Amino acid sequence: MSIHPGTAAKRKATDSPAPANPAKVRRRSPTRVNPALYLFPLPAVAVVAFFLVMPTLQAFQYAITDWNGFSAAFNYVGLDNFVRAFTKDSLFTNALTNNLKFVLLVVIAQTLFSLVLALLLTKNSRGSILLRALFFFPTILSSVSVAFIWKFIYDPNFGLANSVLRTVGVDGGAYLGNDAQALYWVAVTQVWFHSGQMMVVYIAGLQAIPRELYEAAEMDGANKWQQFKSITWPFVAPATSIVVAYTTVQSFKAFDLILGIAGNPPKASLDILSTRIYSTFANSEFGYAAAQSIIFMAMIALVTWLQRRLLRLTPKGD
Amino acid sequence: MSQISRRQAVALLGALGFGAAAAACAGPGGSTKPAGASGPAAPSAGAVTGKVSFAHWRGEDKAVFDELIKRFAAKHDGVEVAQDISTSNDYNAQALQKLRGGSIGDAFATFRGAQFKNFTEAGIYTELKDSQAVKNYQKGLLSAGQSGDSQLGLPYQVVFPMPMANLDLFDKAGAEIAPKNWDAFLAMCEKLASAGLIPISWPGGDVGNGGQLFNCMIANNAPVDDMCAQIEQGKLKCTDDWFIKMLNQYKDLRPFVQPNATGTAVEPAQNLFSQGKAAMLATGSYHLAAVRGLGAKFPIDLVFPNTTSDGKGKYEGAYNATFILGVNSASKNQAAAAAWIDFLSEPENAGYYANQTAQHVAVDKVEYTNPDLKRLSPWLQKKTALAARFQFNNLDVRNAVEASATAVISGTSPEQAAAAAQKIVDERL
Repeated sequence: MSIHPGTAAKRKATDSPAPANPAKVRRRSPTRVNPALYLFPLPAVAVVAFFLVMPTLQAFQYAITDWNGFSAAFNYVGLDNFVRAFTKDSLFTNALTNNLKFVLLVVIAQTLFSLVLALLLTKNSRGSILLRALFFFPTILSSVSVAFIWKFIYDPNFGLANSVLRTVGVDGGAYLGNDAQALYWVAVTQVWFHSGQMMVVYIAGLQAIPRELYEAAEMDGANKWQQFKSITWPFVAPATSIVVAYTTVQSFKAFDLILGIAGNPPKASLDILSTRIYSTFANSEFGYAAAQSIIFMAMIALVTWLQRRLLRLTPKGD
Repeated sequence: MSQISRRQAVALLGALGFGAAAAACAGPGGSTKPAGASGPAAPSAGAVTGKVSFAHWRGEDKAVFDELIKRFAAKHDGVEVAQDISTSNDYNAQALQKLRGGSIGDAFATFRGAQFKNFTEAGIYTELKDSQAVKNYQKGLLSAGQSGDSQLGLPYQVVFPMPMANLDLFDKAGAEIAPKNWDAFLAMCEKLASAGLIPISWPGGDVGNGGQLFNCMIANNAPVDDMCAQIEQGKLKCTDDWFIKMLNQYKDLRPFVQPNATGTAVEPAQNLFSQGKAAMLATGSYHLAAVRGLGAKFPIDLVFPNTTSDGKGKYEGAYNATFILGVNSASKNQAAAAAWIDFLSEPENAGYYANQTAQHVAVDKVEYTNPDLKRLSPWLQKKTALAARFQFNNLDVRNAVEASATAVISGTSPEQAAAAAQKIVDERL
């Protein structure tokens, strides 16, 4: 760990004379301040403790009980709830599989789509600005509105998708009613919903690239792909890292979109971890639902950490 | 004031954090007992004044209840009733937590089945056995609100979860409205299909409404009346012959439901029926007002898909007693809440509610003036089975078992669908 040179110098000056064996001597804090100053962060600490720390700790406690949510009686069951989730609950493992599949689909599609949009719409022409606004528009809608709009689009009888297909003589499908496809159609909705937001992140990155670099590359005879590879990508790589992390978390927690589009409870082919946890709470299994929530939290943390480790898109020094 | 070191300050914050952690590790539920939810004592007597919160999920009935509230307030000086309406899904998931404090839902409604059971176990209900209200109900319809010897809730509505039929289309197609057995039912569907109609509009994409057909399909197939409770307990299995037979009958329905039925939500299904494109809507009489609202002008009756081969089934239909009214044991205004429930249970007021909302009620001596209710009233006298799907107390089990029927409609074999459902049941035994 590096120490700021200024801090080191200050410490050296105040800690003299040097002790004979520095390892054995406990360093005393040199700072003595008016205790009243420590009262200032207390409201913030209290809020964090009450609304964040306590509920989190309670969730951990519930997770090792069989509490049903309202009864006074409960038993401590150790890690049974965690074991049950992975070994005796195919609804949970199905939701987990669906969720991972959904995250993978959305992260790949949304990252690529928003990057392509950004590349096409970086220029500040009137048309580009209009199109940017158009693609950004879904972001300002509530997820419930988005769910209802797309539920209508996908409706096999009166929906827009099948109506359009019928005009060209094609019989449309059941979309959300087809268990093998349902998750893909919701992924399409999710990408439509959030790509505009990610496009803005990319546009900010692209607009920071000095034009001279492209001019120089063109003079050197670099083609468009070489320019992208050697100039554009290194500049937008940090943005990609943000986009991927944000999209991962967002896709894990697509609760409102799924419930809006698939109803409550969603059928098994559209059940993801957050909707499964909700169903478990509604089924009066608070202890088990708390354990599922902790697994969910760990899963997001792990996947986010993994993708940061694997992608390593932030150039060194940033 | 003396100064403290940074270490002392950190120690102080640490102690606070430890205190918070210790507080967090108190028993789940904080005080461990819902405040004031003390179980089935009779609602306290007293003056009928003050504000009563009436919690329920039927937003579509708001205007009707508003009118009834006006009439109630005119009878009792200084009383006020406020409706606290949630969507049915939210109500199912959150009502218990909202009501246990007593500030919301002095009077309230619950769904039959798992929700009623949870409320009972949580001690939210008060005993209504000796109330004025209970005397107004048809005795045979009160069982859904009973727990042991106690009458905790009053099932206010009587609904028929059976397909509604457009009688004009049936006439035009020359189809039989009361098929005696399964073959006759399929022949009826065939006639409707031959007339260029969709025989059955079925909202397979909506778990709650799509599942209502299950009540009819299982009624005469199962060996016992508490078949769903026994499936949940592991005494009966989805892989049993009778259940597979029922799923095979669902398979028979494949050609008679609208294309892509498993992706159809309830509103489009209602539209197919209201617009005269489908001859039946496989939800229930609780959608009468909705389809009228969508412009349906034709006469409506109910059709029971009798699954027997010889027409000698135990039941001629299915019904449900729901919207179970109760008085909150944690309420601080129980006297007024009980008076409100008494008021709703008077035949005149129950009749107003029924005729305005197109819902039959369990209250006796009600005069039905609504033409739809009048036409469907004979069903109140028929031998109908109490809707079986509400016997499930575990919602995961219910959804899995009902999903087996949806899977069959979408093309899965009955055996495979049954095995998949049984796997979920086994995991929850």
